[in-house]
Amino acid sequence: MIEKDVRCPKCHEIVTFSGEPGERLTVTCPKCGAQGKVTFKKSTIDQDYAIEVSHLKKIYGDLAAVDDISFSVPKGEIFAFLGPNGAGKTTTVEIIESIREPTMGTIRIFGKDITSSFNEVKEKIGILPQEFQSFEKLTVKETLVYFSKLYKKRADIDDIIGAMDLKDNQNKLYKNLSGGLKQRVGVAISLVNDPEIVFLDEPSTGLDPKARREVWEVIANLRSKGKTVFLTTHYMEEAEYLADHIAIIHKGKIIAEGSLEELINRYGKGSLLHIKGCKTGNTVELLRENGFNATSKENGNIAVTIGHKDRLLEVLSHLRHKCVDYDSIDIRRPNLEEIFLQLTGAKLSEVKA
Amino acid sequence: MNLRIIASDFNASLKTWKRSKGTMFWTIAFPVLLILIFGAIFSGADEVTYEFHVQDLDDSDWSHTFINILDNISVVDIKTVSSDENITAFIEKETLSVALVIPGGFGEAIDKSFFDEEITVNVSFHYDPSEQGSSASILRSIVTSSLQEFNMQLSGGRRIIGVDQISTITEDFDFIDFFIPGMIGFTIMTSCIYGSIERNTKFRKDGILRKLLTTPITRAEWILAKMLFMLFLSFVSTLVILVVGTLVWGVSLHINLFMIVFMVVIIIATSFLFSGIGMIIGRFVKEEETADMAGGAITFPMMFLAGTFFSLDMMPEFMQSIARILPLYYVNEGLRNAMIYTNIDKTIFNTAIVLIFAAIFFLVGVFVTKWKED
Repeated sequence: MIEKDVRCPKCHEIVTFSGEPGERLTVTCPKCGAQGKVTFKKSTIDQDYAIEVSHLKKIYGDLAAVDDISFSVPKGEIFAFLGPNGAGKTTTVEIIESIREPTMGTIRIFGKDITSSFNEVKEKIGILPQEFQSFEKLTVKETLVYFSKLYKKRADIDDIIGAMDLKDNQNKLYKNLSGGLKQRVGVAISLVNDPEIVFLDEPSTGLDPKARREVWEVIANLRSKGKTVFLTTHYMEEAEYLADHIAIIHKGKIIAEGSLEELINRYGKGSLLHIKGCKTGNTVELLRENGFNATSKENGNIAVTIGHKDRLLEVLSHLRHKCVDYDSIDIRRPNLEEIFLQLTGAKLSEVKA
Repeated sequence: MNLRIIASDFNASLKTWKRSKGTMFWTIAFPVLLILIFGAIFSGADEVTYEFHVQDLDDSDWSHTFINILDNISVVDIKTVSSDENITAFIEKETLSVALVIPGGFGEAIDKSFFDEEITVNVSFHYDPSEQGSSASILRSIVTSSLQEFNMQLSGGRRIIGVDQISTITEDFDFIDFFIPGMIGFTIMTSCIYGSIERNTKFRKDGILRKLLTTPITRAEWILAKMLFMLFLSFVSTLVILVVGTLVWGVSLHINLFMIVFMVVIIIATSFLFSGIGMIIGRFVKEEETADMAGGAITFPMMFLAGTFFSLDMMPEFMQSIARILPLYYVNEGLRNAMIYTNIDKTIFNTAIVLIFAAIFFLVGVFVTKWKED
């Protein structure tokens, strides 16, 4: 018997169904009653997913830090677990890493339940804990050698140093490194056993934009090497830049899940057209009269929400027809910040735990 | 148990230690400094005086001469005890640590000894055998050397007068002999408690324990590796203290199999004992700075109360009672009896107490220390 999480195409509720491998079942959504068919693949799920989390719950007193979440991480992808501070990201990832005990729920890594086989799994995973600081008085190379000796399977340390661009700093003491270099060393430590899954918990928090970009390049490089990356972050840019698959967590629940494209298509209100430096009066009223969702911004700027690409041409056509004078136009699609706003009514960057 | 992992962790700890000036200071330089300072203070003994109660049951010219010899020693302040007093009762009543009794017939025996070489006479040196204080050792040493001088004057060196000691201890001991074992116990205590606190607070805060939890190293391997390193540090500190104490101050060290075996056992047990206390502190006081303060709150009073620097007989009775519930007291006494006094019974007794303390605190420490988060 295997389980499969299915999102209802009608009400978007995620429902877990059970069946035998190869079985095809007619199922009913318990929320909206929609019916559909679910096929359980003949190959077992563990061949497709690196991590499977099912009905995970973590309760502290009256607080559900993680509230019955289920998701799967496909092999070879970067999976971003995005959410504000205190949303339950680190609690979830630390339960997956066996650092915390769940209140309920099951976790499988490569198809094996971690409660019984985590020692076996340890050799296959590499972890960068949140706010990790290594041994201050060891050099970069000594640190990597130390951690690699804990494993049976070991990657070549010089290769890791080269790949992480740490060669010039390999003989420096860890305490003397910059924040960005320390994070790169942290990622490098997580690779000493040539893991199949790399868990990176807030890897770029506290870094300046340049150092953050460097860490992103390192993470993107992991995907090219076939590693599965489980990334927790509260930076939407990080998830947008790196992730193949994104799960947005808020107050312990997953509120949206999918690729960036899917999330934008599903939850975004459409593209946003910016008319900058508009010099013609009543342009906003003109656009509104023609059924466009236009709002006036500072310095004569106007924002117009475009639901469908055909409407874009219509806006431009109206501007030309009415001889509206402006400096420039740009258009961009909604980002994760706007999707989070749409889903929760709050900005991701402003939500506090 | 993976020896490669243990060796790797030991090696990393060693490198870290060699590069940590602070840790090097506390494990090597600090005890050496204290030995030099305290040794210098107490070797300049001119300013120190010891009250010495003497009961003269003979009241002869010879007994007066002998008392004068003692009285002329600048550090000795002779207090006469009436011959009517029962000396044992008097010692108990006055809570004295030492007293000397010159027996009746002392002068007569000396007079006769000029004609009969077989005749000797003993003075009685009374002291409380439960107190191994420095004053008793020093006064015993003074009496012995005064008798040698007196014998020399009387007979050109033939032993006419000897000392009856109410104890098995026959050596001459100085303050430094008392101090060095205490210094070893104190240094092991501080390095083990603070080392343990660092591993359980800083490493937790830095995520190192969380990281290790996700690697193949087991808690048993980690604890064993760290304990091996702490033992290494304890033995290095002990060696340095003994070498400096012997070379600079001439500690009366008894190097024999008995001493070595019990010293090693006590040092190992002490390292486990205080590492266990550090683990317990680290478990319940999670902030690194607060935990360090908690460590200080335990080590500093224990250092003074457990007879590290000063003999317990200098303290009021209630403080002596407190000392006897402190593990460091038994460490100090165990080391003193093994290394200096070579008192087998007391060494075995104190070692047994230290082993019991070590087993309790280390097991509780391991039990309460968690790598997992709540």
